[in-house]
Amino acid sequence: MSNGKLDRRDFLKVMGVGGVAASVAACDGPSYITSEQGAEQVIPYLSPEEYVIPGKGVWYASTCLQCPAGCGVRGRVREGRVLKLEGNPDTSLNAGKLCQMGQAGLQNHYNPDRVTAPMIRDGGALKEATWEQALALIEEKTGPNSGISGSRFAWLTGPTSGHQGVLLKAHLEAMGSSNHFVHEVINTKVWQAVSRDMLGQSMPTLRLDKAKLVLSFGADFLGTWMSPIHFSGQYGKFRSAPDRGMLIQAEPSMTLTGANADLWVALRPGTEGILALGIANLLIHKEKMDASMLPAAARQLIDRYDVATTSSNTGVSGDRLVRIARHLKNKSPSLVIAGASAAGHAEGYQAVAAAMLLNMVLGNVGKTILPTNEFPFPQLKPIEGGTADLGRFAKALEAGQLDVVFYDGANPLFAAPGHLKLGEKLDAVPFKVAFSQFMDETTARADVVLPVASALEDWGTHVASYMGDETAISFQQPLMEPIFPGTRSTGDLLLALIKMRKPGPFDEIDDFYGYLQSAIGTIPGAIKGDGEDEINTQLWNHILQKGVLEVPAETTTFETSIPAITLSDHSDNAGYPYHLVPTPRAGFYDGRHANIPWLQEAPDQITKVVWNSWAELHPSMAARLGVEEGDIVKITAAGGVIEAMAYIHKGIHPEVVAVPMGQGHTEYGRYAQGRGVNPLSILDPGNDGKTGEMALYGTRIKVEATGRAGRLVKTGATETQHGRKIVATITGDQLRRTEGS
Amino acid sequence: MSIVRNFIQDWSRYRKGIEDGGFHEYEHMWGMVIDLDKCTGCNACSVACYAENNLAVVGEDYFAHGQAMHWMRIERYWDEPNLGDKASKDTQEHGASFMPMMCQQCNAATCEPVCPVAAAYHTPDGLNAQIYNRCIGSRYCANNCPYRLRYFNFYSYYETSWPSPLDMQLNPDITVRDKGVMEKCTFCVQRIRTAKSDAKMDDRKIQDGDIKTACQQTCPTSAIVFGDLMDHESDVHLLWHKHQTKLGTPKQDKKNPELRGYRLYEQLNTEPSVTYLERVREV
Amino acid sequence: MAEHTAATKDIDEKIAWAKINADVLRSMQNPRKGYWVALAFCVGLLSIGIYAEVHQYDIGMGPSNLNNPHMWDLYISTFVFWIGMSHSGTLLSAILHIFHADWRKPIYRFAEAMTTFSLLTALLFPIIHLGRVWNMHWVVPYLSDRGIWPNFRSPLVWDAFAITTYLTASVLFLYIGMIPDLAICRDNVKGWRRKLYTFMSVGWRGDDRQWRNFRKTYLLMACFLIPLAVSVHSIVAADFAMAIMPGWHVTSFPPYFVAGALYSGCAGIISLFVLLRYFFKFEQYMTLPILDKTCRLTFAIAMVWTYLNLIEFASVWYGHDVTSKEVLLAKFFGPYSPFFLTMLFFGMILPFALIVPKIRHNMPLIFIVSILLNIGMWLERYMIVAPTLSLAYHPWTWGVMWPSWVEWGIVIGSIGWFGLLFLIFVKVFPSVSMYEVKEMVYHRRRVVFDDAEERVMKPSRQEGS
Repeated sequence: MSNGKLDRRDFLKVMGVGGVAASVAACDGPSYITSEQGAEQVIPYLSPEEYVIPGKGVWYASTCLQCPAGCGVRGRVREGRVLKLEGNPDTSLNAGKLCQMGQAGLQNHYNPDRVTAPMIRDGGALKEATWEQALALIEEKTGPNSGISGSRFAWLTGPTSGHQGVLLKAHLEAMGSSNHFVHEVINTKVWQAVSRDMLGQSMPTLRLDKAKLVLSFGADFLGTWMSPIHFSGQYGKFRSAPDRGMLIQAEPSMTLTGANADLWVALRPGTEGILALGIANLLIHKEKMDASMLPAAARQLIDRYDVATTSSNTGVSGDRLVRIARHLKNKSPSLVIAGASAAGHAEGYQAVAAAMLLNMVLGNVGKTILPTNEFPFPQLKPIEGGTADLGRFAKALEAGQLDVVFYDGANPLFAAPGHLKLGEKLDAVPFKVAFSQFMDETTARADVVLPVASALEDWGTHVASYMGDETAISFQQPLMEPIFPGTRSTGDLLLALIKMRKPGPFDEIDDFYGYLQSAIGTIPGAIKGDGEDEINTQLWNHILQKGVLEVPAETTTFETSIPAITLSDHSDNAGYPYHLVPTPRAGFYDGRHANIPWLQEAPDQITKVVWNSWAELHPSMAARLGVEEGDIVKITAAGGVIEAMAYIHKGIHPEVVAVPMGQGHTEYGRYAQGRGVNPLSILDPGNDGKTGEMALYGTRIKVEATGRAGRLVKTGATETQHGRKIVATITGDQLRRTEGS
Repeated sequence: MSIVRNFIQDWSRYRKGIEDGGFHEYEHMWGMVIDLDKCTGCNACSVACYAENNLAVVGEDYFAHGQAMHWMRIERYWDEPNLGDKASKDTQEHGASFMPMMCQQCNAATCEPVCPVAAAYHTPDGLNAQIYNRCIGSRYCANNCPYRLRYFNFYSYYETSWPSPLDMQLNPDITVRDKGVMEKCTFCVQRIRTAKSDAKMDDRKIQDGDIKTACQQTCPTSAIVFGDLMDHESDVHLLWHKHQTKLGTPKQDKKNPELRGYRLYEQLNTEPSVTYLERVREV
Repeated sequence: MAEHTAATKDIDEKIAWAKINADVLRSMQNPRKGYWVALAFCVGLLSIGIYAEVHQYDIGMGPSNLNNPHMWDLYISTFVFWIGMSHSGTLLSAILHIFHADWRKPIYRFAEAMTTFSLLTALLFPIIHLGRVWNMHWVVPYLSDRGIWPNFRSPLVWDAFAITTYLTASVLFLYIGMIPDLAICRDNVKGWRRKLYTFMSVGWRGDDRQWRNFRKTYLLMACFLIPLAVSVHSIVAADFAMAIMPGWHVTSFPPYFVAGALYSGCAGIISLFVLLRYFFKFEQYMTLPILDKTCRLTFAIAMVWTYLNLIEFASVWYGHDVTSKEVLLAKFFGPYSPFFLTMLFFGMILPFALIVPKIRHNMPLIFIVSILLNIGMWLERYMIVAPTLSLAYHPWTWGVMWPSWVEWGIVIGSIGWFGLLFLIFVKVFPSVSMYEVKEMVYHRRRVVFDDAEERVMKPSRQEGS
């Protein structure tokens, strides 16, 4: 470090050598090595290479890419291997904490099923090839002489941000195309649209810790919604005495957040908006809250939903509605949020808007919902993903508009509903290139597979879509040398592709690392030293140490407006009387982590099932079908049939069957393949009218018993405590007596 | 002859084999507090434990046989016996009850006296330790653990659990256990030892926060607090004190019986070092 | 039947000493086809056990289906069962010897052999059930440079001491009691057997001094063995009673285990009695009056066991320890109830069959009854071990576990092993004590000299006619 420049690449190489030398010395030291031979190998112990202290773990900061939340991580590196990930305490986003998926990032990195060499489709099958062959083929198909340009080319990616996003856009620009489809099943796009329309910005800062009551319409903020670890941290404070907050969760089937609610309300899918308006009605008319800020149209709408109407639509009893309204009135400030199960309907936008309306009636805006600072670099801003793009993508394919598709970080063939017939449509595309770590469903049908480095082997910058108080760029740095020499950094590949296509400003840049370093140097207002070199070095060292770089940001204010909300009443469907809930769970997420053995073996939080799929049923539904736990039920939707073993509990609406997302892979390695079923495959067509997001929760089904039983593997032999004091529960009143203020 | 001399000199040590049970005034006394009201049951601790402690993934079949190795086990109960009959019959009104269960590090551990080879023993800093290479696999300790938190290596799990390159992740600070050995949560003893030696190198005492167990470090809601009960400034000590739970007594003499701290199956007089704080629900 | 007339006497007093020698020695010679079939059968059973154990040794304890709450199962219950079986010999030889119950004399030898072989079988189980068998010697205190002694507070260490001591003592007891008979054998055989018996009979000539010393030693060993037998099963009971698990933590377990042990031992004696009587044509020695007495003794012990069993239920029931009560109720009504109720029937009701003379004198029937009694006793041990593990304090880990073929294989193998040892024994050593049967005849007939056999044979025939 004394020479001022630190090259991480060299450093990592050194580390690798150091590790090997150490182990050699350890194995052979005492036996047959002459002193001259031994001297060389023993030296690393005596005066080790820089930073390498055998037996001592060193922590390096990076960013977790296991879900789009973008938490900061620190990896413990010892003898050239990364051994453990922890949350980065220097971020305010996750403040040193990490979820199970983050912890399991290691097994994504060390996964035995990673693609280790480029592959080219040859006579119907993918065959291993060299990088030169693969890149030559790509040049042939997409290079300047390929004739492909403009809208004939498309990228299908997961959400991205930072400098990868910049390069992606640069590549699209070089291709002359604007086709960037960003796919993400578990997203908050509807919430963002509502916030943008009603508050003037898409990602307002939410402060659970300031709220005395949180009313959540299916927002699984402890599991999958927006930034779960950030909100878990807030939840810890929210649940602290003396002012312990109350959590009310209304949703069709219990999520992790619902499992932690003081009051969990089962409601009919698709009636979240009605419930919100019904509560607003009670607040205005029964609790006499001031609603003068609402326009007349909104007040009229609210007036429609009296207790009886709300109750008959949502299936929530009138008593309970009154109770919820009373709690909301008494515990102020509160916070109302709406998540996936509210948004995943044809009127998803309206339902979320109704929830936001409730916030306005309760006066939460400005108290627990705060304006977020403006991120100063628009080009680095997150490129949000959603399911609407999948529909657009399918349409583009159907129209035969695409000749070349590049994938990165998306597995549309797994996540796409069957009715889109994406498989057939993609097969018709002449040239498909997958940038992939694993042989997933989409990669397996690509023409060229480019094995990319794992998140722990690559450089990158990330801007979280939900940042809360902190406006920062989160850095990703390699925690070790690539395990497989045949893999390459996505950034390097993007640079190569851009250069391959079109000469331009990137020609002078050797690799992604160099690009990042030079790009960071141009960030204004960052840490400064004396002289140009100094600036770079100090800034760079700061970044590498902390993993995050706070950037100057402008404060903003809300501009509230209330759109017209229209909600239709709940309707019955005689042919398909029940509702399907494809539950997203922290763990498998949308299915991307099904190849991680730790997560397969981690019991589902609610049902405690491992290594399989299940169908959650209400006891009344189970009684009607005559099934018991482990019996296989057949779930028929208009778009297909799935079968899963029943798990019966009361944490679900009686008209709902919930099947978790994530299993049912036909490819994707030894741990994921051929396990369970994929509920996404039978979704009904249907989109949110406003945002075009898929109605994930809008599928109608019928359910039958098959008469067969399976082996439902789960931990825990009992559902109850048998009168023992295991998890003791006290009432809020009792807590206030002992720990209250 | 030196062996014989050794035995004669240290006769009392050999005769006793292991420490007497019960509470001792140690230099350190590692303890924990888990706030069940903050615990969301998210599994992060459990997976962190797999990563830190080289826990084997056993696969569906062995899991079905009850041969899983989850040292940190999140239990989920649907009923709330303490709330009486207030719960609704057809809906899960108050959510679920989650219980993170790891070795309770009992001071009067029932597993210790029954081990024929003294592989389960008490360290001088109050840890209930399991010495893998001394274990002969009689499994008596697991039978005598009222919490059922000891896990046995029924197979050589390492043969299948970490296909290359997953094995590169294994923590070199601790072993990979072979078949026939009992194992359990150690309160991340490797982290305790590292912190102790670091403190010694720096010529200072261990401070509160120097040691974080893997589960505590990752817990998203900070429901887990770990530390030295002998350090009267430590968070864990303050919490024990605040909730009036004490070591060394089978019956907690609480001035205010409504305080939330309790230890699991305290009536068995096993003296666990883990205090749970009762879950709270607004009813 | 002729035997009925002799019912008041244990043994026909008219048997000549030479005939006794001849009959017993005959039983040791020329195995017939049936013997080889039985031997092959036992070897077959044993090889199942060996195969299962090799598999388990190779792979780990997993194939036995043991799992987290069920860390012990058939191995430990069968271990306790065989320890119980071993109490037969001690009871018949030592206790009845001290009480001068002479009817024991024709049958104590094989009962003692049963003790030794049961112990040898029982000894296998704690070893087999270890996860790391190769380190089993660590439970024994020995000077090693590891500088570690076993944990003397562990009942498993007590087990190791108790069993090895009991085994040593019972082998010695068996051997010492056999010395005069071995001398007889020595005088009647040639070849390798002669060498063996010469070595083993340690120069027995039958002179006064030897007899005096022999009597003293034998009595001393008997006195030594009785407390040992009681302690060994009390210690096995301590394996459970010292634990805090509901259903194990029972103060009355030591006497209960001892009673159960004597019970199953006696039932085992009846089974072997019938078999030996039939196969070796020992009708004259293993007579119905002796069987009657054995049956009555068995019945008495069964009643003691029943009493202790009911006491245990009552103490659990009125003790109001919730978990213990749950375990007890689960035994009656839970998934183990078929086994538990069968055990209660075989252990408590079936012994009443033993007081019916018609059943006692029907050889096939009494054999079946004795086997059922022992099945009941085996189930008793299984019902002590398994339900407690299935259902202890922590509900989350409750569950039922059924043993796999590996566990069954090893249990079956243990029967083969026991049978094999016993079959070898009866062909190598006299399974009826010749000198003590002679004493029985002697006391009544006052025939003193061995060489008067011809004279004795003739008058006896005349007198009888």
